Amino acid sequence: MKLQIKLVLYNAVSKALIISALAVVIPMLIQKIVYNHLDKRLNARHEKMMRMIKIGGLNEIALDQDCSFDSYNIFKEEFVSISPLATLPDGFGNTVIINSERIVDSQLLKHRVLSQTFLYDNQLYKIEIGEGLTSAEELGNTIRNFTLKIMLAVVLLSIFVDLGFAQVLLRPFYNIVNDKLKNIKHPTSINLTPVATNTFEFAYLDRSINEMMTQINEAFRLEREFITNVSHELLTPISILQNRVENMINDPQVPDEVVNKLADSQKTLSRLSRVIKALLYISRIENEQYIKNESAELELLVQDVLDETDVLIQDKNIRLDKSQLEPFVFKPCNKSLLHTLVFNLISNAIKYNRPEGSITVTGINQINQYHLRISDTGIGMPADQLPYIFDRFKRLRPDDDMGFGLGLPIVRSIAEFHQIKIEASSENGKGTTFDLYFPASST
Amino acid sequence: MNVLIVEDERQLSHEIEIFLTKQGYNCDVAFTGKSASEKIYVNSYDFILMDVGLPDNNGFQLLKETKEMGKDAAIIVITARGSLDDKITGLDLGADDYLPKPFSLLELQARMQAILRRKHGLKNNTIQLHTFTMDIQNRTVQADGNTIPLTKKEFDILHYMALHKNRVITRVQLTEHIWGDILEEDYESNYIDVHIKNLRKKLSQYGNSDFIETVRGIGYRLNMF
Repeated sequence: MKLQIKLVLYNAVSKALIISALAVVIPMLIQKIVYNHLDKRLNARHEKMMRMIKIGGLNEIALDQDCSFDSYNIFKEEFVSISPLATLPDGFGNTVIINSERIVDSQLLKHRVLSQTFLYDNQLYKIEIGEGLTSAEELGNTIRNFTLKIMLAVVLLSIFVDLGFAQVLLRPFYNIVNDKLKNIKHPTSINLTPVATNTFEFAYLDRSINEMMTQINEAFRLEREFITNVSHELLTPISILQNRVENMINDPQVPDEVVNKLADSQKTLSRLSRVIKALLYISRIENEQYIKNESAELELLVQDVLDETDVLIQDKNIRLDKSQLEPFVFKPCNKSLLHTLVFNLISNAIKYNRPEGSITVTGINQINQYHLRISDTGIGMPADQLPYIFDRFKRLRPDDDMGFGLGLPIVRSIAEFHQIKIEASSENGKGTTFDLYFPASST
Repeated sequence: MNVLIVEDERQLSHEIEIFLTKQGYNCDVAFTGKSASEKIYVNSYDFILMDVGLPDNNGFQLLKETKEMGKDAAIIVITARGSLDDKITGLDLGADDYLPKPFSLLELQARMQAILRRKHGLKNNTIQLHTFTMDIQNRTVQADGNTIPLTKKEFDILHYMALHKNRVITRVQLTEHIWGDILEEDYESNYIDVHIKNLRKKLSQYGNSDFIETVRGIGYRLNMF
């Protein structure tokens, strides 16, 4: 889940919680206030009634024959009733206020009722003063509903505001990820200018990434330097040996058997220097030391390689099918690297082919890409070895005395350098197919 | 022909000296940039083989100095750093060719020959190989007025062998000359053998091609007397 959504949800949930709590508390408060208010009024009336009774006597307030009195105002909102009592109740003389429902004109109405028993003329009476609760409750409901609605509106509004705010807040984060991590093809190409932000955490992240990238860059620089030094230190002695062997081979005083051995040594030396050169080559490609600013007509490049290797194809009587080779311009690229890539694949297809076999080269323009396929009818390889064919020094065929296992790693490095997707598939004894997907040029 | 070998690795300069002396060049050797600079100033050389990895001097500095002295010696830059930048820098500064270590001595000689032809416009642009005539300028081989259709590589092989006639050329030397640019791992292959087979087949249609001799287990020799 996005942090932006999370922040907004968190805010919304916490606000909703507060509002629900208020929804419980507010009606209680309102009720309390209303009762408080009513009780004051009831007490005041009670006092007034009792004063009237004291001064004017009970008869003054027009009691009935049975010495009781009931008075309701017209909307049944208020009433006063005094009725004689036969027995002495508990809590004589205490003023009690309770809610009770009264039937008035066959209507059940809720009232707040104050009641008290008192003695008058040696007769027990009970006075009850009531105040209707209906209107007060309606007022409470109205206030509660209104408050809830406003709060709901506030929550909704704040969700939108939060969404926008979180987006602005998180923008530096996406800038850092895109500028410093995602769009970086190679650590040396990073831009170390700080991303604009006044959020401490993002500035911290940005700084940390910059520090890390600087270290990585330093590591790359050291590796390049190391490679240069190693190559110099190894290639110079090889050079001495190779030239000495050459001089000895051409020395007439050296007997033929020795010359044979010298020729073998020369092969070994050549192999050694080729391994070093191949490793250097891969390192340089991976370190982006090659410039890709050329454009290549791929079908012509493939044709060049096929021309170069034609002699070998014919020598093995291999049938070559290149009838489906559509034109395609690939740029930016490094032509010499691409040539090596195609050459290594074609050369493999010849080397591991059987006599009278065939090689099919197809190049098809697809949406946003060009699909180059090189397949042979060679010895193939078992499926379990397929994942390792691009690894350095993996010689997958035990009887393979033909290479030292750097041809395909070179192919992969060049492909990655150009963002060419490469896939290999093979069937043991039937042949191998390499699929290359060249991204279409953006311009 | 006077050659100055500027190479701090004494064993290497010694081997180059042995080889070039045998080929009839007068060799002079310098182990440091300083002594090389002095020698170039005093003497007149036709060729300077210049290692750009000298301990006391960036080789390119020496190259610049030499050019500033107005010396017209042909300069071949030698480097073990092998990076493309070195090649471009060297050629930009006026070097005539560039050889990455390790290189074959035969390759060195072939490059020197090519420079001579280019610089001095050698009049003799044809090589007579028994009944065949090689035209270096137009890259053709003719016999009795017929042009033999050789591929680029077949011509290169024949030319290389003609340059080093009467001398055993190993498969490695030939392979490195013909396929040098390609970083293909497979040098044990029979690429060269296939090319020689085809070359012989084409030549023998127009004359005797026995002068290309197979030296068993080693390579080939082009015999001329």
